[in-house]
Amino acid sequence: MSLIPSNALRRKVQSTLAAVLLTGVSAMAVVAQERPVQGGTLVYLEQQAHTNLYPPAGGFYPNSGILNQITDKLTWQNPETLQNEPWIAESWEINADATEYTFKLRSGVTFSDGTPLDAAAVARNFDTFGLGNKELGYPVAEAINNYDHSEVVDAQTIKFVFKKPAPGFLQATSVIGSGIVAPSVLDQPYAELGDATKIIGSGAFVIESEVLGQSLNLKVREDYAWGPANVDHQGRAYLDAIQYIVTPEDSVRIGALLAGQADIIRQIQAYDEPQVEAQSYTVLSAPTRGVNNNVSFRPENPLVRDLKVRQALTAATNSAEIVSTLFSSHYPQATSVIASTASGYVDLSEKLAFDLEKAKALLDEAGWVPGADGIREKDGAKLELNVYESLPQPQNRATLQLLSQQWGVVGVKLNVLAGDSGSAATDNLDPLKTPLRPAMVGRADPDVIKSNFFPTNRDSLLQKGGSNANATWEDPELNALLLSIASEPNPEKRIALTGDVQAYLLDQAYVIPIFEEPQVFASAPYVHDVSFDAVARPSFYNTWLSAR
Amino acid sequence: MSSLDLFTTRRPALGLGRLRQLDVTLVLSWAIIIVAIAWAVAPGAFTPHSGTVGIAGNQLRAPDVAHWLGTDEIGRDVLARIIYGSINSLFGAVVAVIVGFVGGTALGLVAGSVGGRTDTLIMRIVDVLLSVPGLLLQLSIIIILGFGTVNVAIAVGVTTVASFARLMRSEVIRVRRADYVEAAFGSGGRFAAVLWRHVLPNSLGTVIAFAALQFGSAILAISTLGFLGYGAPPPTPEWGLLISEGRKYLTGAWWLTAFPGITVILIVLATHRISQSLRRPS
Amino acid sequence: MTRLLVSRIGQAAIVLLLAFTASFLLLQALPGDAILIKYQNPEMGLTPEQIAEIRVLYGADAPIWVQYGNTLWNFLQGSFGYSVQAGVPVNPLLATNLPPTLRLASLGLVVAVIIAGALAFAATLAPFAWLRNLLQSLPALMISVPVFWLGIMLIQIFSFRLRLVPIINPSEFQALILPVVTLSLPIAAPLAQILIRSLDEVQTQPFVSVARAKGASRAWVLWRHVLRNALLPVLTIAGVLFGELLAGAVVTETVFGINGLGRITEQAVSNQDTAVLQAIVILAAVGFVLINLLVDLVAPLIDPRLNTPIGASA
Repeated sequence: MSLIPSNALRRKVQSTLAAVLLTGVSAMAVVAQERPVQGGTLVYLEQQAHTNLYPPAGGFYPNSGILNQITDKLTWQNPETLQNEPWIAESWEINADATEYTFKLRSGVTFSDGTPLDAAAVARNFDTFGLGNKELGYPVAEAINNYDHSEVVDAQTIKFVFKKPAPGFLQATSVIGSGIVAPSVLDQPYAELGDATKIIGSGAFVIESEVLGQSLNLKVREDYAWGPANVDHQGRAYLDAIQYIVTPEDSVRIGALLAGQADIIRQIQAYDEPQVEAQSYTVLSAPTRGVNNNVSFRPENPLVRDLKVRQALTAATNSAEIVSTLFSSHYPQATSVIASTASGYVDLSEKLAFDLEKAKALLDEAGWVPGADGIREKDGAKLELNVYESLPQPQNRATLQLLSQQWGVVGVKLNVLAGDSGSAATDNLDPLKTPLRPAMVGRADPDVIKSNFFPTNRDSLLQKGGSNANATWEDPELNALLLSIASEPNPEKRIALTGDVQAYLLDQAYVIPIFEEPQVFASAPYVHDVSFDAVARPSFYNTWLSAR
Repeated sequence: MSSLDLFTTRRPALGLGRLRQLDVTLVLSWAIIIVAIAWAVAPGAFTPHSGTVGIAGNQLRAPDVAHWLGTDEIGRDVLARIIYGSINSLFGAVVAVIVGFVGGTALGLVAGSVGGRTDTLIMRIVDVLLSVPGLLLQLSIIIILGFGTVNVAIAVGVTTVASFARLMRSEVIRVRRADYVEAAFGSGGRFAAVLWRHVLPNSLGTVIAFAALQFGSAILAISTLGFLGYGAPPPTPEWGLLISEGRKYLTGAWWLTAFPGITVILIVLATHRISQSLRRPS
Repeated sequence: MTRLLVSRIGQAAIVLLLAFTASFLLLQALPGDAILIKYQNPEMGLTPEQIAEIRVLYGADAPIWVQYGNTLWNFLQGSFGYSVQAGVPVNPLLATNLPPTLRLASLGLVVAVIIAGALAFAATLAPFAWLRNLLQSLPALMISVPVFWLGIMLIQIFSFRLRLVPIINPSEFQALILPVVTLSLPIAAPLAQILIRSLDEVQTQPFVSVARAKGASRAWVLWRHVLRNALLPVLTIAGVLFGELLAGAVVTETVFGINGLGRITEQAVSNQDTAVLQAIVILAAVGFVLINLLVDLVAPLIDPRLNTPIGASA
């Protein structure tokens, strides 16, 4: 008998937990039936300084935490239904093969510098997002595929035309990377957009001042009147101002919050959750609905080229133990490549079962036999793998160390390296130095799988034609599957293909999913109604502060 | 590095009564160092727990009878981590001191005994070494050499070369002026022979005491680098790394940071006391 | 005097050029580069071609000697180039970050001198032998405490447990208390040791007994005579203390989340933001060289017996 519950039981536990959480939230909502109060400054402690604030660079959480308050998007993805609903666009039409999208824009929307947010401005934004701008150094946005050009039909109507079907585009208009900025912003060199005061959006808040790398002040926009149509609250935001303070030390963020020096903090670790809750502070956890926190193999490396080795390592991975040792109920154990809350998810937990005997047998079959020091050997080579920790991922170092312990049981040595960013960036491009790498991506669209694995996107497997110039290995079958998801206009077929690619990735054991990564925030008891978009980017539009 | 100048201002000879009193702390200091060395040599004799492998489900336990100093985030015994970390921290400090000692002594010896242009040139190079912020130099060297206990130690050692060189040079110049050395030169001794037989042994004493002092500083420097994320790779238990990893858990689990910190303080304090006793009163 | 001055300035210029060249070569030798680190970040979602284009934009594709010449020429004109990571020019980055560090460092130095002086006098004048011994061993303890560990502990105890000093949105004064204490303790330790020694030496001098015999109090005599005696050894280590303050600032600013040169340095190393690092090295080298030059010129005024330079090559 193992201590790990069966899959069915585990799912039951999870859904019960989810139910408990939900009731917890709604119970709180009942308590908080007071009327929202206008006024006050929210002090927000962020773990890392923002980098470039060009909206498509908003995938980086510190960037998105800012961009989400100062920019609006064409559509709003309802985090509950994952449907796209009106925001700056009042309505839209999509042609049958998803190559033409026409949006009708709301009138009267202005940027904070007073210029109108009209079809011409939207065209300028998406032309830059979809095509880049070599002269000024703008790269192409990750979320936008197959973009060709835009046509301004009239002041409030815009049409986008694609080279090939782009079924993910509607969802792409709602992501953080598609925040609309004033055209004058896009006239400046890309390299200068690290200065937040240069970013002019139409959002509910405006950048007031910045101390680079340390703090950023946002103030409310009094005349804001174009929130997402289906959000109850309309008009200006309740808060007067938001103050971002970069506080890299985990213990300082949590300590400052509990000592009453801050109102909300990003990135609280699972081990701090109990004491936050014990003091009746709130832990806010939002799923990122994308590719699960995982380790991905680079089959170019001869050590992990053999399918049996990868399968053995999958079987030797006890993700339940990792979750129970290091994490909390906000971090569900992974049951597929993508999160159970992601669109197109299929439960594949039987492919991820923890089975030491199977792992050992597979390694024996593959010809790796235990050496004198317990580490398996074959033709004089040791089964010793290196991996760099990924700093942005929660407790990644501890996760990898625990994984290293687990693999050690079957005779595989995993060295966890904690390099500087430079060595890590270089070595992570060389599959011979890094046979595997921790990864995750958040985006609530099946395109997210392509984002993570396709050679010209994030290229998690380091295939030929991707970021490693010397790569010779590729999996054409996988790439064909990924491409078909990105251009399949029929939603049902697209979901089916998404299921296929999940199964394929796990059958080939290219990736070992570990847990579904949330973004976890903690807030003081007097902070109400912090909302999150579909991939856990916080929005403070509805947020208000009651008396302390 | 400030320890160099501090070091060269000599303390007047101590009265006998005072010596006897201080002996207690000296004995204690040696005891601390011997225990640390014993930990480094045979860690298994001091703890039943593993220094690298934890027990899942046993994580973040406060100090108790089973785990005197508590356990860390993946259930490893903190005391065992400190004991097994001894070899890494001490070995690193030894390598750092050797690098600084050998490099600095050679430079200082040449500068002090040859003199003239060579002296000026070497001392300007030493100036350049001193003018680049030490921490920046250390970080750059680690990134170039790559991570690992030895490379970190080399980086720390390189930044002490300048201090060793300056100390050695001034010692050599002092010894050269001594009557017997001048006599040795006067009676037709070959330069190298005199250098080897008289100058080197007579100037080494002070430098060795300084090396002992540097040993403590090296432990501090290595742990500082570990704190900034440039130390030995995990799960290698190294004291600086223990403090650095443990600080994330500080609000809930103070023992992860407090005990390795106290260990470092005790060891460095002991090396200072020992260095002080090695110095010959002048 | 003028000749000495000209020769010292010439030597200082050579040291600066050497420091520039050495740091340029050192920074070029780093593996990876800032552009790769920033844009390879998967969250940016860029293709290799796009990264190559950005590289051309920053002029990072030119041969190394061209880059060396350009950088040196720009530095001489006072322009430090672009920070890749922050996406802004280096000059305003330094302009915003230098003042807080200077304030922290100078306050740290002042507090260190006060602590050292108080400790030295207490250790010499304390009524009981055991107390004197205890106080005399305090500097050794202060030097043995890792700065970062001290900072972390101070925050936990004084800000979070006792809630005496806020870390987030503190007043100007509150913001400086803990960092200044953290920074000054390890600097105060060697100063205190030097002062204790000076006092020990002064006490055994014949004039002390004479002055005492004439009825002057012991404390007054020490105060009269310690200043000059203590000033020289302190001056000798001024350049080195400057380096210590810089290194201390890196750690202190990281721990306390203060924006400043130290934090910029740490981030720039991690991101290999070469332009920023190069500027910081030169800034530090200029500071070091200037201080030593000043010490060389001032030292003979304090003690006329000194006519040889003591700062740069003691």
